[in-house]
Amino acid sequence: MRISKFLTLVLLLTSFSLLYVWQQTEIFRMAYVGQSNVTNFQDLLDKNTALRYNIGRSASLVRIGSRVDQDLAFQMPQGYRLVKLAPKGENLRLTRQVPRKESIAFRIFGIKRQAEAKTINP
Amino acid sequence: MYISNDRRRIEAVFLLFIIFLLFCIARLFFIQLFRSSYLYGIAQKQHNLFVELEPRRGTIYDTNLKPQAVNMSVDSLYASASEIPAKAKEGIIKSLLPILNVERAYLEDRLYRKKSFIWLARKLSPGQSEAIKKLNIKGLGFIKESKRCYPNGYLAAHVFGFAGLDNKGLEGVELYYDGYLKGQPGWAMFLRDARQKRLNLWEKMVLPKDGYDLVLTIDEVIQYIAERELDKAYKKYHANSASIVVMDPNTGAILALANRPTYDLNERINLSVNQLRNHAVCDLFEPGSVFKIVTLSAAFQEKRVSEEDRFFCENGAYRVASHVLHDHRAHGWLTFREVIEQSSNIGTTKVAQILGENVIYKYMKLLGFGNKLGIDLPGEAVGIVKEPRFWSKISIAAIPIGQEVGVTTLQLASAISAIANGGDLMRPYVVKEVRDKYEQTIKSFPPLLIRNSISADTAARARKVLTGVVENGTGKLAQVTGFSAAGKTGTAQKLEPNGAYSHNKFVATFIGFAPAQDPVIAIAVCVDEPHPYYYGGVVAAPVFKNVASDTLRYLQAIQPLSARLSGSDEIKKNN
Repeated sequence: MRISKFLTLVLLLTSFSLLYVWQQTEIFRMAYVGQSNVTNFQDLLDKNTALRYNIGRSASLVRIGSRVDQDLAFQMPQGYRLVKLAPKGENLRLTRQVPRKESIAFRIFGIKRQAEAKTINP
Repeated sequence: MYISNDRRRIEAVFLLFIIFLLFCIARLFFIQLFRSSYLYGIAQKQHNLFVELEPRRGTIYDTNLKPQAVNMSVDSLYASASEIPAKAKEGIIKSLLPILNVERAYLEDRLYRKKSFIWLARKLSPGQSEAIKKLNIKGLGFIKESKRCYPNGYLAAHVFGFAGLDNKGLEGVELYYDGYLKGQPGWAMFLRDARQKRLNLWEKMVLPKDGYDLVLTIDEVIQYIAERELDKAYKKYHANSASIVVMDPNTGAILALANRPTYDLNERINLSVNQLRNHAVCDLFEPGSVFKIVTLSAAFQEKRVSEEDRFFCENGAYRVASHVLHDHRAHGWLTFREVIEQSSNIGTTKVAQILGENVIYKYMKLLGFGNKLGIDLPGEAVGIVKEPRFWSKISIAAIPIGQEVGVTTLQLASAISAIANGGDLMRPYVVKEVRDKYEQTIKSFPPLLIRNSISADTAARARKVLTGVVENGTGKLAQVTGFSAAGKTGTAQKLEPNGAYSHNKFVATFIGFAPAQDPVIAIAVCVDEPHPYYYGGVVAAPVFKNVASDTLRYLQAIQPLSARLSGSDEIKKNN
């Protein structure tokens, strides 16, 4: 009986020890996995920053200006050379002329228009 | 009593064990009481790694929130020189030389030192880093570091300035606002594994406090326009240096500030002092005829002279004390308006003589000359303005025409802005907002009125006269297509080392604003030693014209000018 109690105690202690060691190794293993994920994430962030920077650099007026000046012998148009585009034709429509109902009061007090122009609403 | 030998032996062994045990206990007590902190330190070093956490340096944005200075994570190359075999070092030097573009002696010096860690190159470009990684050389390693990058290269180089290898501001806004930009470093105590490699587990950590972002008043587009036009003039006239300031006259906000020669913020190798210098803010020069705006303002404000008062300009030669004053063209009778339009030195001197030394001095100071304006950039020059008691007999003929005084391009821009906006001298500024990384405003810098220099009526009359300079006078080349403009030309002789005025070294200047009646921009252009032409009306005025024309078109495209003006009226009311 005493031996069995002793063995149980030893078993229990051993299991707890193993559990503790496993837990510790697991923490470190997860730390390694986390570390590699963080590194990958950081790499992606860095690449993203680099891409944004390169986009900004490519789109910068300095770069465009120098390319236009040197490579293409391009001349910026002056204001009078620019054509201002009117709104699209399909959006233009004649306003519907609603015939005004003339009441008695309107006939007495209203000012009759001499002429009415058809307006175009864009 | 008989004690057997065996028992004696047993007791001796037992005693030995007891003594050993007591020794162990004593040793443990000694270690625990006297050596614990020392040993704890050694254990900590083995298990933990103290790392300083670098804060993110704040980003610099232009007024439209386009990033102008950003941080990039880049690789820095180090070598464990003591781990590299001597035979391999020669091969490493040969492979690294074409990639790093450094002297052979530099690499030899570094690699042949007996050190376990030595920097070979800091903050490599991504291309360099990739190329070295491909070589897969044992004994070389990389550490990530933050590098300051400027997407627009040379644009507004003297405004933004730059940060050094340790991310500390060294020039421009980077230096002036380093306290806001740099942030506070943090630290962490990381755990290490048996191979001494750092784990992402920490015992203690104090997070770094990131630097604040800056929003500038500089507009990237206007800055580009100003730089482009200044560069053209600088190259065309083979100038020694050139500078331009574009300002919102109603607020004092600097929309663009450029200098030539300049430099690329990303490639700062072998820079000369002339390239690094912010000429617009730091350099003093005798302004010449642009300084006549002081006499113009004083004459109207003191109500001593009106536009139509006539002055005899002595047909081009006028004696003041021992000095004979000349006009660049002989004039007879001219009205005061014509005196300014034709930039007559003699006419201006006669007006100044009516006003007197004290009045001229008073208005020089009122318009911001001889004082720091308080711009938020390093190295602002005070200027040279002598008190009347130090004036010589010929000073009254020299100072009103821009001699015997020292001014900066920035001071000229501020003075002309005061005339443009109705008489208010505004503090010029380049940073309008400090923000944190969550885009919350930490501090804002509203427009600041330094003083009311002249009355609104005087300013209006001066504006009218200055419009005449552009329409009928010496500044015809400053006429802006589609807009009215006003301004003043200046051509100043430079002083030779012997104190005499040079006959072949000039400073060409133009200061002006547009549109003339409701100004939205004020511009000061200064070209130092242009060749072969040197007149302000020929060299600097076209720069004004082109910058004003493109800037007004741009501003009108993003916001009607009337809306901008109503906004500035509100600012004035608040002031």
